[in-house]
Amino acid sequence: MENTDPSLLPSIIFTTAAQLVDCVDKKLLVVLRDGRKLIGILRSFDQYANLVLQDTIERIIVESMYSDIQRGVYIVRGENVVLVGEIDPEKENSIPLREVSLDEIYAAQQDEIDNRRRRELTKNSKLVDIGFSIDTQQEDMY
Amino acid sequence: MLPLTLLNTSQGHPMLVELKSGETLNGHLVNCDAWMNLTLKEVVQTNSDGTRFFRLPECYVRGNNIKYLRVPDEVLDIAREKNQQQREEQRKSNQPQRGGYNRQYSSSGQRGGYNRSRGGGNVGRGGGQFQRGGRGTQY
Repeated sequence: MENTDPSLLPSIIFTTAAQLVDCVDKKLLVVLRDGRKLIGILRSFDQYANLVLQDTIERIIVESMYSDIQRGVYIVRGENVVLVGEIDPEKENSIPLREVSLDEIYAAQQDEIDNRRRRELTKNSKLVDIGFSIDTQQEDMY
Repeated sequence: MLPLTLLNTSQGHPMLVELKSGETLNGHLVNCDAWMNLTLKEVVQTNSDGTRFFRLPECYVRGNNIKYLRVPDEVLDIAREKNQQQREEQRKSNQPQRGGYNRQYSSSGQRGGYNRSRGGGNVGRGGGQFQRGGRGTQY
């Protein structure tokens, strides 16, 4: 019964954007619904979890390779954010990924997209054969 | 300084708007509102593949279609300066009112956002339902 006593539950944890207070002025990884990964310093946010990121880079990651693009200041609309994570400054220099050039990553990314599309097509055709109808749209790419 | 405040101060500046569809609009921000609806001028619209471009003298974007906006770095600095100036002016205008019971915080009508000038006690006001629990220790 003690667990349900409201005076013992910290009410602050139920307010959604409240947790971002601790993340302000920190370097964060933000993953968007389209699969993009932005790394920047959080400068402010609001009750919708709209974010202001400064000195942001967009990091494209394909398999074990990555490449960064300098982007500047973002205002990200909250509904497009999947997750936000604090970047540990000590660990960020020893990530298990290999940095490559933009051209290389774009090529690898295109291959990945083509493979995914091919897999979707074969999966859908097999499902149709068994009698399923394909009416789902792949909206969120993360 | 709240995200929408930053957006307001970037009126007149160029910016890039990416929509949920992946299309991008490059143009100068004319006006914006609390729902993130925008009017832009001298806009270059690019489709999501980056293969087709359209030039629009003016354009209106309904806020819910926006994925993100990119603004020039200077805009953030300009907005910060304005914020400081505003706070100083408020401090000055508060001073002659001593002697009476006067509990004025430097509020600027911002709801539910994190603002470093406050003590952090206003976070989450947008949701509101869960703050007054138990013994009402807030007051």
